[in-house]
Parts: sequence; structure tokens; C-alpha cells
Amino acid sequence: MALLNPNFAEEMEPFTEDTALACFNCGTCTAICPLVYEHFPRKMIRYIQIGAKDRILENAQELWRCLHCGLCTLTCPREANPGEIILGLKRFVVANWRRS
Amino acid sequence: MYNPKDIIELIAGNVGKTRNPFGIPKFMINRWHKDLDMPDKGDAMLFTGLMYQFVPYIEKSTKYLAKFEDTFLEGLIRFAGYVPRYLSGLGLSVITPGGEKKKFNGILQDIAKILMASNVDFFYRPDLDDYSGVLLYDLGDQEGFVQHARYVTGKLKEAGIKKLITVDPHTTYALKVLFPKYADASFDVKTYFQLVDFQSKNGHRHVTLHDPCFYGRYLDLSEVPKKVLTDLNVECVPVRNAGPFTNCCGGPAESISPKLSTEVGDRRLEELNVTGEKIVSMCPICLGNLRKSGADVEDLSTVIAQCLEK
Repeated sequence: MALLNPNFAEEMEPFTEDTALACFNCGTCTAICPLVYEHFPRKMIRYIQIGAKDRILENAQELWRCLHCGLCTLTCPREANPGEIILGLKRFVVANWRRS
Repeated sequence: MYNPKDIIELIAGNVGKTRNPFGIPKFMINRWHKDLDMPDKGDAMLFTGLMYQFVPYIEKSTKYLAKFEDTFLEGLIRFAGYVPRYLSGLGLSVITPGGEKKKFNGILQDIAKILMASNVDFFYRPDLDDYSGVLLYDLGDQEGFVQHARYVTGKLKEAGIKKLITVDPHTTYALKVLFPKYADASFDVKTYFQLVDFQSKNGHRHVTLHDPCFYGRYLDLSEVPKKVLTDLNVECVPVRNAGPFTNCCGGPAESISPKLSTEVGDRRLEELNVTGEKIVSMCPICLGNLRKSGADVEDLSTVIAQCLEK
């Protein structure tokens, strides 16, 4: 069971542009991602949308698989900038590690 | 896969204390300019960002990382931070082959020769040529990146530098996009191949051009090297994924997961090998990673400089 934090998107604001809520989960980013890894990065963006902060922290290691290549951002039909969201999540997690 | 926290803290510690990710003193890394007679004043400063100089050290260190990845020894990396930075850096420098250092220094020497042949009014100041800190940005250490970026830009501003000539896509991106955003510093930045201006039709060859992600997508510069090569009579054989849709070489993952990095690099190499022509790269990270996958790859500057010699 995951604890949902409805204010998580706001908590992310200092770390990235507020674009996660623009995503409609079409999966284009996952289809084009060179990692070919599960549902990356779509799953992480979904976690932000529903406020599953704990899930992000539990699976934080996955974020560093991202190559920051930018293919997801180039092809996103909603201009949600998935690459920048993942980078923002990395910043959020690093800040969280250093705080704890 | 290594624990990203361990790798980030190690790299951030090195950059914070020694201004480069390996902890190697700069005078040992940045030696490419010694045999060249370059002015220390002029219109634009050549800013290498030390990325080409790092490649032999990246190759050496990731070789060890690959050896221990996913083994019980993997966790020991967290103790690397306890070794004095310059000591571990010196150790890495000693075990890194001199021939490789010479090879990558040669790439920078070719770039300087290309600029001279193009009559570009440029100068070089090794004291102002620093690592951009872009790896910290990519790894999510925003605080560390901003601190380092301010250090680098502070020195450049103090010296009155306004124009910079870059040699690799990652440093170009940092200087053009990230420094204005995060370090309040704007420079007129051009990459060296935008300044190529000499006549030669001596290319007489076909190549496979691998566009790096940062030139292809982030900086939209892929067409420039292609035009430079075409003008020199070097034909670029089309690649399936190129320009804005170029595929990653896998290099950016090499510090956290050499396995993943090689996996992605192998896939890209397969695409590039379809043409059957020599692969040409214009990014030190791509060059190193494609080599790791077994590619016979040359740097763009080498191909351009060869046209000068004929």
C-alpha cells in the first residue's frame, strides 16, 4: 500500500518545472527511451501525479538509469518535458538524501 | 548498478575539493597546449572544459567500476571518499596509459590547428580553462553544480572574457544554456566547427557521422559539422537515427552502471555499423563509449585536420 501526498507536485516545484500534470500517460516517452526498461520514465511521472512520494524514494535508484538523452522530451505530445522531470526528481532525491 | 548516492558524493567531493571529478591536479591533466605556440590574448578564448583530457581517466576508472559492478565489492566505493582526493587522483593518473593521454591531447591540438588555419582570432589561457561541472548537473547535484559554475564563471568574468570557443557538446551546453540560467553569466559561445573557414577539397572519403544528443537535440547544431565535412569533400553516409533523433551512445550512465552504458553503446554501434564506413564522433564521451563497444571511431577534428595536411 502506498501513502499518497496530494501536495507532492508542489513539493517538487523548487526542483523542476511544473509540467508533470500535463502528462496524459500515453507512453511515447517509454516507447522511445533507449533504456527499454519497464515503464520508465512514464511510471515515475505517474507517481508525481498521484503524489506517491514514497514510491519514488523507494525506487530512486532507477532515476539514475536515465541518460538525459532528451528523446522523450523531443517526442512528448503534451510537451510535458519528461527528461527535465526525471532530472528534477534526481535533484529532489539528492536533496532528500542530504537532509536525512 | 552502483548506488547513485555513493557515486554522486564521491564525484561531488572531488569537484568541490579539486575542481575536477577525478581529484587529479589540473596541471597533470591539462598538458595538450605545451607544444603549441598560442597567444594568451585575443578576441575569443578557447575553452576545452577539460572533457577530452578526461577520457583516458574515464576509460581507466570505468574499467574498474565495470569489474566490480553487481559484485559484493561494489559497496566499497562508498569508502573511496575517505582517501585524500589528490592521492586517489594521483594514483589514477599513474595507472592511466600515457599513449591514451597523448591521443586525446592530439585531438585538442588538431582543433587549435583548425582554428589557426581558419584565421580565427583566438587565445588560450590554461589558468582559466576549467571543468564546467556538467556531470554534477546531470547527476542531480544542483547545489554542487551551481557552486562550481559560479567558481568557473567568476574567474572568466574577472579576466574580462566575453567570447568562448568550445570543443565538446557537454561543455557547450553548460556554457550556453546552464551558466546563464544558474550562474548569472552569459558568454558569446561558439563551438570550433562553427568557425571552420578554409578551402580544401582533399577529403575524398565517406564517413558515418554519429551526432551526440547535445548537438542533435539540445543545441540543434547537427547540420553544421555535416556541412563542414561536405565542403571538404567528405561524404556523410546517412544513418537511421541522426540529427534531432540521434540515439544515445550510453556514455552518461558509465559512472553509475558501466553495464547499462555498454548495453546502450552496443545498440548504437550496431546502427552505425550498417553503413560500413568509418565512424566519426564529435563528443569525447561518445568517442570513449563507442570505443568501449569496439568501434573504430575517429574524432571530427582529426578528419578536418587531415584535410589541412594534404
